[in-house]
Amino acid sequence: MSATQIAGRVAGVDAGAPIRQSSLWQDAWRRYLRNRGAVAAGILFLLIVVWCIVAPIVSPHDPNRIEFPDAYQGPSWSHPFGTDQFGRDLFTRAALGGRISIGIGFGATLAILLIGVAYGAISGFVGGKLDNALMRFLDALYGLPYLPFAILALAIIGTVNFWTMVVALSVASWFITARVVRGQIMTLKENDYVRAAYAVGVRWYMILGRHLLPNTLGVLVITIFLELPGVILGEAFLSFLGLGINPPDASWGSMAQDGRDAYRAHPHIIIIPSLAIATLVLCANFIADGLRDALDPRTKET
Amino acid sequence: MTEPLLSVTDLKVHFPIRRGLLLDRTVDHVKAVDGVSFEIPEGQTLGLVGESGSGKSTTAYATLQLVRPTHGSVRFAGRELTTLRREELRRVRRDIQIVFQDPYASLNPRMTVGRIVGEPLQTHSVGSRRSRRAAVADLLELVGFDPSYTNRYPHEFSGGQRQRIGIARALALNPKLIVCDEPVSALDVSIQAQILNLLKDLQRDLGLTYLFIAHDLAVVRGMSDTIAVMHDGKIVEQGPADAVYTSPQSDYTRALLAAVPVPDPERMRARKAERLRLRPALSQA
Amino acid sequence: MGRLLEVEDLRTHFFTRAGVVRAVDGVDFSVEKGKTLGIVGESGCGKSVTALSIMRLLPTPPARIVSGSIRFDGRELTTLSERELEDVRGREVAMVFQDPMTALNPTLTIGTQIIEVLRRHLGLDDRTARRRAAELLDEVGIPRARERLDDYPHHFSGGMRQRVVIAIAIACEPRLLIADEPTTALDVTVQAQVLDLLDDLRREHEMAMILITHNMGVVAESADDVAVMYAGQIVEQAPAHELFHRPEHPYTEALLAALPDLDDSDARSRRLTAIPGRPPDLIDPPQACRFAARCPYAGCGDSCALEPPALRELRPDHRVRTAHPASEREAVTA
Repeated sequence: MSATQIAGRVAGVDAGAPIRQSSLWQDAWRRYLRNRGAVAAGILFLLIVVWCIVAPIVSPHDPNRIEFPDAYQGPSWSHPFGTDQFGRDLFTRAALGGRISIGIGFGATLAILLIGVAYGAISGFVGGKLDNALMRFLDALYGLPYLPFAILALAIIGTVNFWTMVVALSVASWFITARVVRGQIMTLKENDYVRAAYAVGVRWYMILGRHLLPNTLGVLVITIFLELPGVILGEAFLSFLGLGINPPDASWGSMAQDGRDAYRAHPHIIIIPSLAIATLVLCANFIADGLRDALDPRTKET
Repeated sequence: MTEPLLSVTDLKVHFPIRRGLLLDRTVDHVKAVDGVSFEIPEGQTLGLVGESGSGKSTTAYATLQLVRPTHGSVRFAGRELTTLRREELRRVRRDIQIVFQDPYASLNPRMTVGRIVGEPLQTHSVGSRRSRRAAVADLLELVGFDPSYTNRYPHEFSGGQRQRIGIARALALNPKLIVCDEPVSALDVSIQAQILNLLKDLQRDLGLTYLFIAHDLAVVRGMSDTIAVMHDGKIVEQGPADAVYTSPQSDYTRALLAAVPVPDPERMRARKAERLRLRPALSQA
Repeated sequence: MGRLLEVEDLRTHFFTRAGVVRAVDGVDFSVEKGKTLGIVGESGCGKSVTALSIMRLLPTPPARIVSGSIRFDGRELTTLSERELEDVRGREVAMVFQDPMTALNPTLTIGTQIIEVLRRHLGLDDRTARRRAAELLDEVGIPRARERLDDYPHHFSGGMRQRVVIAIAIACEPRLLIADEPTTALDVTVQAQVLDLLDDLRREHEMAMILITHNMGVVAESADDVAVMYAGQIVEQAPAHELFHRPEHPYTEALLAALPDLDDSDARSRRLTAIPGRPPDLIDPPQACRFAARCPYAGCGDSCALEPPALRELRPDHRVRTAHPASEREAVTA
């Protein structure tokens, strides 16, 4: 006699209604909103992103047009951020630069996540000798200095553009993510619901994809905002050294480099992009902090 | 006499202890299960009792091949499980299922109740999506759970409710044998009674066979036909439930029975004397 | 026989975002010198909160003792300052918690942890404190006590750790020991040993003890008097023998009936008597009897649904909070 055929016949004490009604994400969201610093940072971050997207579209100025008479103007109504040595509107250029800087930032972070998750998940999931080997190899890689390697990567690739920057910046930055994901997977593996899945005969890739990886989401979201600052600063630094984005494209870093010579007389040219970088990085840190508190499993209700 | 549904012979699970820097050498073994043998006829319950570290959970996992035995045989429904190839083992898994102890760790927090209970059906491609949905509803009703809650998440339910979901999942594929690994240890007394009654009803109505693992001797008595007492990876006593409880043969069993708190003040004083006498039989804690 | 501890109408509420959780809502009991009071109840009934309230160990927000009095040897504890309380804790009233794994500091040797208490309250010098610490470890049954003073908690098994925790608790010869589920995390044989130990120590040091547990068997063994808690209130209190042989409250009866019987030869074929439903939400508990929704004796139009039953003395030393005590039920059905 099958279980489903006699449904309803086994009279038992009724289990009753759910004792709690909320989604885990809603709880986390509410906790996040309680952190005023994180909320402010989140709003500011969003505003910066919106500015980068919208400003160049609505701006009356052509960011690339060289207009020497207008050069070196300070902030004014028609040029909220002033102009640079070529008379180009900095408000618009900074927004464009932001597109590139933030774009590379997110791009590299995504690459870091993909590589790190793949490496860490395989290592943690398979365990045993493979995990041992992969982790020892990772230990060796840890020592690699991230920026010199980025420069090296760019040199090897030859060209410098958006995509090569993404690759270069991610090539030596995924180690911590891999380790974190591996740790998470190894912890999650011990849960009974994973054993239950094995007992049912669920195949290994489903166990990884349905039971393990989704439960690392919280950690991954936090990792995004922790890696972002590093990558953005990395790109800025490279561009500042002249090893990054080439003109006429500009990123915040290269804009800062542009303003280096005229620093004493016209500081705003270097200050504007630097401030933008600093603000974005600071916001990302606050957001990561807020997310960590919001998603902390210890405060989650079970 | 028909062959018992489950027959475990000289089961051993030894975990190697490795030492060394680059190349790990095996220096010793942790003998979690050290030569365990038992049988369960169809439709009956074997109660496996023991304290923590006795190896009872590892025995269960080894029986299910969730942990590979180092040695020994596990015969289920006439087939030797330890030598089955992976695909064959997957098919056999439909007939042996497990209910876990911790209601807070046995359900994936990111899956809805419906998907959790339906996963076994989906994994083995049983029926169509619609028929699976109906089956899930039936299963939830079977365990006294309102099927309208299929879209909720585990964290919205209490421990007892979650255990019911776990039981429904175990029943999904119509198994012949269910391993109950301390299914009520984490529950309050009144909820415990509900779940134990449910398990009994299901056994009676579905003809299930149970390997019932617990550390609470009183609970085990009410559920089992035969009992096996485990200590340090070995079975120290085995027999029909009544015999083991009324005339235990091994000192360890006697010490265990004398230690169980019983809600009767007079009997407790008598048992204290018995406990003192049996103290050497136990490893001092 | 004097009353060492008297708790009257204790109410401890938790002020949370979701509402006010009335965890302890009108609890009265007393503990006599040298005797053990067992407080039994299922999870969420408020027994741990009661214990923590006596020691004022609850975080205040969100918890607060809203009203009631806790008198220890005549002294009112609820109005003491934190400073004065620190003198009481460990010295006069000591507490043993459930989880021996987390009760001890893993980075300090157990010797240090015992000596810390001895020096704080008794002002002993190093050498004397060390000697006393070894004596204490010996008393709680830890072999080679003197050598083990320098061991760290992780060198001990669960049962041993709990013994160490008990040693720390009795170090200053407190007059009251509160044990909150002291054996729940331990194996049953170790549990029995630890309970026996607590009993012996109590007699030796003439301590009073409050033993909190969800296990009726543990209370039957160790307690002189037993109080049953449900939904933040005491629903029955009586000497142990009385409670188990002549329970009055429907909840107590149901709890006893739901217990699997170790000595029942028909247990295999019998069903346990389960209690339907779940305890009430303590944020908005029922105004009337809190057990009414699950009680087999709550009839329609009864006082149960209208007014909360008061705790009344049915027999000497036997108090119940119900409109349908067992001894009055026969009369109705007759």
